Amino acid sequence: MQPDILIQTLINGVFTGGIYALVSIGLTLIYGVMLIINFAHGEFLMLGMYASYWAFTLAGIDPYLSIPLSAAVLFGTGALIQLGLIQRILTAHILMQILLLLGVSTLLTGLVQFFLGAQPLTLLMPYSSFGVRFAGLVFNLPRMIAFVASLVIAGGLYLFLQRTKTGKAIRACAQSREAAQLVGINVKFIYMLTFGIGVAVTGVAGTLISPSYPTTPTVGQLFSVTAFVVVVLGTMGNFIGALFGGLIIGIAEAFGGLLLGSDVKVIVSMMVFILVLLLRPQGLFGRAKT
Amino acid sequence: MNQAEKLARESVKVHELGTNWLRDLFLDWDKVQMAAVLLVIIILGLSPRVVQSPYYMSIIILTVLYAYVGITWNIVAGFAGQLMIAHLIFVGLGAYTTIVLLERFRVTPWLGIPLGGVTAGLLGFLVAIITLRYGLKADYFALFGIALMTVLRVLFMKIKFIGGGEGIWLTFRGESLEKMAFLTKAPYLYLGLGLLLVGSVAQFLIYRSKMGKYFLAIREDESAAGALGVNTALYKTLAVTIGTAMAGIGGGFYVIYVTFVDPPGVFNLGYNVEMALAAPIIGGLGTLAGPVLGAILNKPIAELMRGWLSAERAGSSLIVYGAFLIFFVLFLPRGVVGLIQHPYERLRRRLLTNLQK
Amino acid sequence: MALLEVQGITKWFGGLVAVHDLNFNVDRGEIVGMIGPNGAGKTTAFNMIAGFYRPNEGHVYLDGKDITGLRSDQICQLGLARTFQIVRPFKEISVLDNVMVGAYNRTGSERAAQAKAEEIIDFMGMTSMTRQTAAGLPIASCKRLEIARALATNPKIILLDEVMSGLRPTEMDETIDLVRKVNQRGIALLLVEHVMKVIMALAGRIVVIHHGEKLAEGRPDEIVQNKAVIDAYLGEVKTSAAN
Repeated sequence: MQPDILIQTLINGVFTGGIYALVSIGLTLIYGVMLIINFAHGEFLMLGMYASYWAFTLAGIDPYLSIPLSAAVLFGTGALIQLGLIQRILTAHILMQILLLLGVSTLLTGLVQFFLGAQPLTLLMPYSSFGVRFAGLVFNLPRMIAFVASLVIAGGLYLFLQRTKTGKAIRACAQSREAAQLVGINVKFIYMLTFGIGVAVTGVAGTLISPSYPTTPTVGQLFSVTAFVVVVLGTMGNFIGALFGGLIIGIAEAFGGLLLGSDVKVIVSMMVFILVLLLRPQGLFGRAKT
Repeated sequence: MNQAEKLARESVKVHELGTNWLRDLFLDWDKVQMAAVLLVIIILGLSPRVVQSPYYMSIIILTVLYAYVGITWNIVAGFAGQLMIAHLIFVGLGAYTTIVLLERFRVTPWLGIPLGGVTAGLLGFLVAIITLRYGLKADYFALFGIALMTVLRVLFMKIKFIGGGEGIWLTFRGESLEKMAFLTKAPYLYLGLGLLLVGSVAQFLIYRSKMGKYFLAIREDESAAGALGVNTALYKTLAVTIGTAMAGIGGGFYVIYVTFVDPPGVFNLGYNVEMALAAPIIGGLGTLAGPVLGAILNKPIAELMRGWLSAERAGSSLIVYGAFLIFFVLFLPRGVVGLIQHPYERLRRRLLTNLQK
Repeated sequence: MALLEVQGITKWFGGLVAVHDLNFNVDRGEIVGMIGPNGAGKTTAFNMIAGFYRPNEGHVYLDGKDITGLRSDQICQLGLARTFQIVRPFKEISVLDNVMVGAYNRTGSERAAQAKAEEIIDFMGMTSMTRQTAAGLPIASCKRLEIARALATNPKIILLDEVMSGLRPTEMDETIDLVRKVNQRGIALLLVEHVMKVIMALAGRIVVIHHGEKLAEGRPDEIVQNKAVIDAYLGEVKTSAAN
């Protein structure tokens, strides 16, 4: 195997990994604060992709410019879902939580399929397959932009959580619901905010990949499962872990695709998933349970 | 109250064939539920006399199938509290086993369907052992199931021998008892009802047995159950193995009736909700009559709504099932049976105080 | 040979030694009380005996058999049952079903388990609650249910973990009578308790735990006069004994 191909695969993997990281950051944030695994997470990515497609088709807005739009729409949707549905089951039995989110996931997929059709929609931008050539390697432009944007957004979110008052309130809730309430934090509001941000970030990820991936109602499901892998690998609730996990999975999948064929490359992440669940369920950054 | 309870207990011990048997039945909530289930089965069994349209017949047959698969999930998740979210994996495995044995090896489904149960049960056993060995609980157990479903879907897409991405069709198109192929719908209905009857009775027997009580104890509080002598590892494994094996048999019947199976069709979370989860949740997870009552409410209503929405097929059923799940989790977590239970208990108490006189 | 022999059990968590070299016995049919200040290590010792923690050192023998490190269900089958301080009823099933789970420890038959469960429910004075769902029970009844379940497993000894906590004085008196009745069936009891009145009323012997070690052991009248015990623990109790 020529070194060129290997490096090319690595680059592709890193780019994809950035997107995985962005999607997973939302998921891990939600889990860290609310202790809920958002089984409907991928559907928000799907909504972001559709938002981007229709923004362009109806209003001619370039996907990258419609990022704020996606973010806003998804934040709103997420906040509503959180307030209306999730807030009610925060203390319910875990089976009920999982089933509710599965219901949300199924409903969202169904609504999109019903109103917008199930056929794949491709957002072909003039730059969709544009590649920058450098040192004999091809850097696909949209993917590269997606990667850089992911890092920027992740970095921005990190700073938000670390430096701003609201961000600190969110982190406080992640540590202890009761203690946060005792110091006067409106926990319900923080939860709404967290869920909204978590899914908005995922929706933006969807917008970022819309020039490169076909948009279908079920595209979210695959990303969902991959996001689970990344989050578990990087330790549930751990922001940096999600970043690393995303990159690791992206790269692993890319090489898996090289060796096994791109239609089965998801097996690689599933294998990683199963191995992590069995051998190190606390993830890379977690502490082993006694 | 004391005396009435004692009296009621005495009457429960009286032989069922005595004059007290009806009262005895009514005082026992489990038996009331079983009576309801039997009633549903009988009514559905008589349906070919009134229902002529093949479309409505097929709804009824699928309802019966969903009730049965719901029972199998009820045993795993409702009785024993194991979060096997991706239950359809086992139905799918059973379906594949049956149809591959029929199409590639000419094995009659009369043998193939039980063998489907065996393969599904084996996988279930493996899952139980592995998750036990590595201590996977709750969330993680659910995620493991989802990962497994994805793996199976991708794997089955690649294996040409079992149809790959295109799936396998039942090639025989005539009437043959040996091949379990029929030209009218009624025989499928009777087969399905037979399966449902066996499944319901099995569910009842399990519920009333030591094993069933141990399942419930594990669901409620695993640690406390252990302190009372329950070997939780053993019984968790039993619950999963039995439920998944039964699901495999359901898969065998499914493929014989639908005559086709492919990976995205069965290793699919949306269809998993529709076939395995919806009925027990609507009817009442953990109850005896839940899966059956849930199925007769669920499938026909879903079909009706699809008729009204009358557009994109897949989308509308997803909307209906998603909405059902959300509604029931939020407002009726105990399902329909749970709703009926309170008025029943009031009636029962009144009956008991009357007995005191 | 005593029924329960605790020999040199020790447990540490990280750098903290919770229990160190604890030794005591419980004879057949005896009631032994285990007392000590909060954090003394009573619960840890209790959990080690009942099989919820594995001792780092030492052994526990039940009727001559080494039960150290066995699973809790194995220990229960050998004849040691326990209750939980914070009650853990099987909420969604009836009182009868709850007790039947315990009764199934010795039988596989539904009839036999039900008969045994009903006998125990009657014995505990809970007949009127037989078919009630455990979730609706008040705390005092939940405590009874804990004992009833443990009793149904047909044990040789029951470990009662602060069975009086959360009870009003009248309920406490009733529970004391109940515990005595259980003992009269020939079952030994190891009680972890804070309420001195209870220990004095029930225990034939008392083991005092302090800083993870056995501070004193003896009859109740000896213990209340033991200077070390008074200094470490009972001195404070003089005020709460008025409760």
